[in-house]
Amino acid sequence: MSELMVEAWGLRKAFGDREILRGVNLRLERGQVTGLLGLNAAGKSTLIRCLLGLLRATSGSAQVFGRDAWELGAGEKSRLGYVPQEVWLFPTLTVSGMVNYTAAFYEGWDRVFVGDLLRRWDLPVSKSCGLLSPGERQKLGIALALGHDPELLILDEPVASLDPLGRRVFLESLLELAGDGERSILFSTHITSDVERVASHVALMRGGVVEFHEDLDGVKDRVKRLRLSAGAEFPAELGLSGVLRWEPCGSSGVLTVSNFTESLPEELRLKWGADVLVEDLNLEEIFVAYHEGR
Amino acid sequence: MDISAAAFVVHPSSGVPIYRQLMDQVRGMIASGRIRAGDVLPSVRELGAALEVNFMTISKAWGRLESEGVVEHVRGQGMVVTAPRVSSAHREHRAAVRVLVDQAVVRGVQCGMGREELLGIFKSAIEENLK
Repeated sequence: MSELMVEAWGLRKAFGDREILRGVNLRLERGQVTGLLGLNAAGKSTLIRCLLGLLRATSGSAQVFGRDAWELGAGEKSRLGYVPQEVWLFPTLTVSGMVNYTAAFYEGWDRVFVGDLLRRWDLPVSKSCGLLSPGERQKLGIALALGHDPELLILDEPVASLDPLGRRVFLESLLELAGDGERSILFSTHITSDVERVASHVALMRGGVVEFHEDLDGVKDRVKRLRLSAGAEFPAELGLSGVLRWEPCGSSGVLTVSNFTESLPEELRLKWGADVLVEDLNLEEIFVAYHEGR
Repeated sequence: MDISAAAFVVHPSSGVPIYRQLMDQVRGMIASGRIRAGDVLPSVRELGAALEVNFMTISKAWGRLESEGVVEHVRGQGMVVTAPRVSSAHREHRAAVRVLVDQAVVRGVQCGMGREELLGIFKSAIEENLK
């Protein structure tokens, strides 16, 4: 289970004097499904392209299946599936023509699975690729990336142009793929509820680094909001570590921490004579807390 | 009885991790008598597909319930609800109460009280305190 599929270490990427990746560390193990979150321009797509060997890192290392991402051979590439934000298709080929064209590159292409996916998505198989809507292009791109049953699937905002129904079908197929614990999936998205459903792990990119990458439940356990009320006024600084946000307001205050432990409420009670109410946060609230705090 | 996947509901965007929502629901169903010892939880795959959540989340919930002794894995059947056991905390409380009762009985016997009289005292103490 602990076999590494992807490992980035101190990964940096600059375009001219604009540094997009500033030392990314990321390890994806077999069986993990990781949702990659981050604001626009946080570096998600650049990271994905470096991991796939589509961009060459300025410094640091990016390895896939234990091999330098920039030097992946045909063998490694056949174990890899990728869905870019903008799916590239031959405009003159029909949908089924495009499927056949792609299938020809792979041994063990699963025609049944791909055919079934196209049907569930109502993709018009005889339509020219050049005439497909953005949503249809994305669906076809996903089907093409899944057909050879990749061990590692990397998707760059796969659901951005899908309608809710298309998104549902996509999430179902991700769950099916991840079900046997043999594959790893990395997908970037802005939809935190999709990550909560499908992902086992969550990675947050901020300012060109991966701020954290860990078990989704672990994140929910350690990031909490506490509502405090005491007899006296709270100071501007509480003198605690791991504070994401502290908003004192007279004798009450709202505290968001990134390192909650069961003993923290008691500590606060003792130190400030405060009543403490602990609130669970969902992933969207956690995402916001990480961005508005600093 | 096989417990239907439809018996479970999860809210992925609640702050409570999904595995914990599932554990709470199983415990709740046991407490309310909706499910009993011998009932079988839905399989990881079945429930994951029905709820559209990561299968590992389900196996985490079932695994934790197993280590708590709420369910046990039975080959060929799946996760089977066990007979509710006296929890270890409760066992300790029983032991502590037993020490106090022993002291009371010894004291009574020393003062020459018999079985019936002691039982009478305990009964009236229970009646008066459990109102």
